[in-house]
Amino acid sequence: MEILSNLAIGFGVAVTLKNLAYCFLGVFLGTLIGVLPGIGPVATVAMLLPLTFALDPATAMIMLAGIYYGAQYGGSTTAILVNIPGESSAVVTTLDGYQMARQGRAGPALGIAAIGSFVAGTIATLVVALFSPPLAEIALKFQPADYFSLMVFGLIGAVVLARGSLRKAIAMVVIGLLLGLVGTDVNSGVMRFTFGIPALTEGISFVALAMGMFGIAEVVYNLEQRGASRQVFGSRLGSVLPSRADLAQSAPAIARGTLLGSVLGILPGGGALLSSFAAYTIEKKVARPPRNFGDGDIRGVAAPESANNAGAQTSFIPMLTLGVPSNPTMALMIGALMIQGIQPGPQVMSQRPELFWGVVASMWIGNLFLLALNLPMVGLWVRLLAVPYRMLFPAILVFCCIGVFTINNNVFDLFQLVVFAGIGYVLLKLGCEPAPLVLGLVLGPMMEEYLRRALLISLGDPTVLVTSPISAVFLLAAVLLLASIAIPTIRAKREEAMKE
Amino acid sequence: MRFLAAIATATMTLAATQAWSQDYPAKPIRILVPFAPGGFVDTAARIVGQKLGERWGQQVIVENRPGGNGFIAVLAAAKAPADGYTLLMAHTGEFVVNPAVFPNAPYDFERDFRPITLINDAPIAWVVNNNAPYKTMQDLLAAAKATPNKIGASSPGNGSINHLVMEWMGLTHGSKFLHVPYKGGAPAMAATAGGEVPAGIAALSSAMPHMQSGRVRALALTTAERTPAFKDIPTLKELGVKEVEASIWVGLFAPKNVPQPIADKIYGEVAKILELPDVKARFAAGGGVTGGMKPAEFTAKIKRESTSAKKVVVEAKIKAE
Repeated sequence: MEILSNLAIGFGVAVTLKNLAYCFLGVFLGTLIGVLPGIGPVATVAMLLPLTFALDPATAMIMLAGIYYGAQYGGSTTAILVNIPGESSAVVTTLDGYQMARQGRAGPALGIAAIGSFVAGTIATLVVALFSPPLAEIALKFQPADYFSLMVFGLIGAVVLARGSLRKAIAMVVIGLLLGLVGTDVNSGVMRFTFGIPALTEGISFVALAMGMFGIAEVVYNLEQRGASRQVFGSRLGSVLPSRADLAQSAPAIARGTLLGSVLGILPGGGALLSSFAAYTIEKKVARPPRNFGDGDIRGVAAPESANNAGAQTSFIPMLTLGVPSNPTMALMIGALMIQGIQPGPQVMSQRPELFWGVVASMWIGNLFLLALNLPMVGLWVRLLAVPYRMLFPAILVFCCIGVFTINNNVFDLFQLVVFAGIGYVLLKLGCEPAPLVLGLVLGPMMEEYLRRALLISLGDPTVLVTSPISAVFLLAAVLLLASIAIPTIRAKREEAMKE
Repeated sequence: MRFLAAIATATMTLAATQAWSQDYPAKPIRILVPFAPGGFVDTAARIVGQKLGERWGQQVIVENRPGGNGFIAVLAAAKAPADGYTLLMAHTGEFVVNPAVFPNAPYDFERDFRPITLINDAPIAWVVNNNAPYKTMQDLLAAAKATPNKIGASSPGNGSINHLVMEWMGLTHGSKFLHVPYKGGAPAMAATAGGEVPAGIAALSSAMPHMQSGRVRALALTTAERTPAFKDIPTLKELGVKEVEASIWVGLFAPKNVPQPIADKIYGEVAKILELPDVKARFAAGGGVTGGMKPAEFTAKIKRESTSAKKVVVEAKIKAE
């Protein structure tokens, strides 16, 4: 059994005092920045990356990886208790998690988030250990047309995410797509809507937009609400252990979320964020009975939280085996390896088994640490959020600014933060969900890039979109999903369900 | 009297700058980098920065200012006080490609900067997917000539030095490829390795992992000479494409008006650092050759490459704006 000897090498590296300490430091920091709204893993890894120059490569990766998946645990705490995603992949957790907290079920919500994340993390780590090389091959098989169709599917899914009016959801997706046009066109190098501002050549800052719309806009909106809703639901936390019924209901959701997250994590543009969105969408479609989504359904927490952690783990596969980052945090991880003089790619596994297997083994240990940090000690994090709002809100604003600034060390990103906070506030007032907009912004530019590349390589022949089997399947699924939304009878039912 | 005063002023200035350079560095030095941590340029800055810091007993801070095609960091360096405490680590893109591709680039190499030295010079390689029918560079060139604009070749982006080399070969040699741009070297090479496009043109360091795993083969280098780490890869020159010569280099720069003694002091120390065996080994691992070129020589190299790049951009009608 080669895998056993490989894992033995891995645990040999991960279970040294030094690496255990750095692993713990990583997941602890990850949970902390996950809980704190505004500072996400991208900013944290960017800040700490230069410090890893002096560390051993395996130790550096173990710590940075811990920050990334640790943040997936912490992000849900803030989402559930304050309705502000602590981390961008926890955006959908706010939908049902906060409702659960309002119903006095914050404990089970936090508990199921941690349990779901642990189960998903453990399974996804096993996937990484067992199937990294074959999965990397599959990722290589994905052609531009296939990616395009996958994203079409994702975008139509975004509409399903919305709680309110269908028209508003479509409008939000379209605005997101339009915002995604800003920046340098990959194919021609033409700069679009940058108005001569160098900072806009790489497009609108995703972190600034997400923090502005979800973080700051929410703070401003909360300031208007006097009384009841202005509280952290930590005082009524109760037991964090979900009931037997909760577990029975959540188990299939966790399984589906884990599977989906594991698959999407491997693809570029995937990772934690897309996984959580997709898991929620699918859960809402397939879960029986479907009644309570958006109204405090525990499956609406279990599925995306499992998916984002699974996605966070498997997004290491393309990074470690192909040297291709699937999201900005992974791009920084590649940077961390390059600082060490290691070119990430297929040779890492064979030439540096201690690095690859050490990181894999540490993920497993890290998930154990996280379960301990998040189940018995969840009260500690809750207390962090339970400080009075007059102190919490300014702190959130400060953290948002620090988080946005440190990614590029650029003041212009702060202006973007302010502008999107304003827009986000208006959208909240109009009852428009910003979640579909965010997905439109993320997927739009990638969709365009892949479609144009597919057509470029096929020398302008659009039939590649249907002749490639992978692409055809996604397009068909997208059409079915669209039909299920568009057919009026179903829509009527959907609105009825929303009103409940 | 006026003459004496002039002498006195001159002596005083001289004394002042001498004292200045003897004190230098009296406070932390920052090296601006136009990329996020971890890239080719950032790594060079950190290797050199760490050694400089140890040898001078002063902190050397690497400050990443990514984005805007490098404009943000380069502009910040151009506008910084010319006292030797702000330096810029930049590569081919900022000083050879950008001036050619962006006629309105907000900085000017000759007006705003004083080159200190070349740090690292790395080859660019033509590679093909292992299953592609082209066994040699001649096969690939012949195929590109026979079926112009049909054979896909990946590059790290529109208006990159790699893209310029591709167009350059079309201009001088008549071998025209279908340019397929990606967002950076890693995805471009993964596309060639996965067979999405049969060929690609990439920094040797980005191609290396896929060469070692047997997914791609390197057919030729674009440098004047073969590289020590890969002696079996021929150069385009040897294969008869004489005009095309390019590499991806990283260099250290100071704002234009930095006092001569300080520029000399930095050059002297960096040149010594580049001779250290561990530093040489780090750069060689990426297929690069360690620099140390004298400032005048480096300036001439940049000007020469700029002229070629401008010619290619004009003749091949490459546009980025």
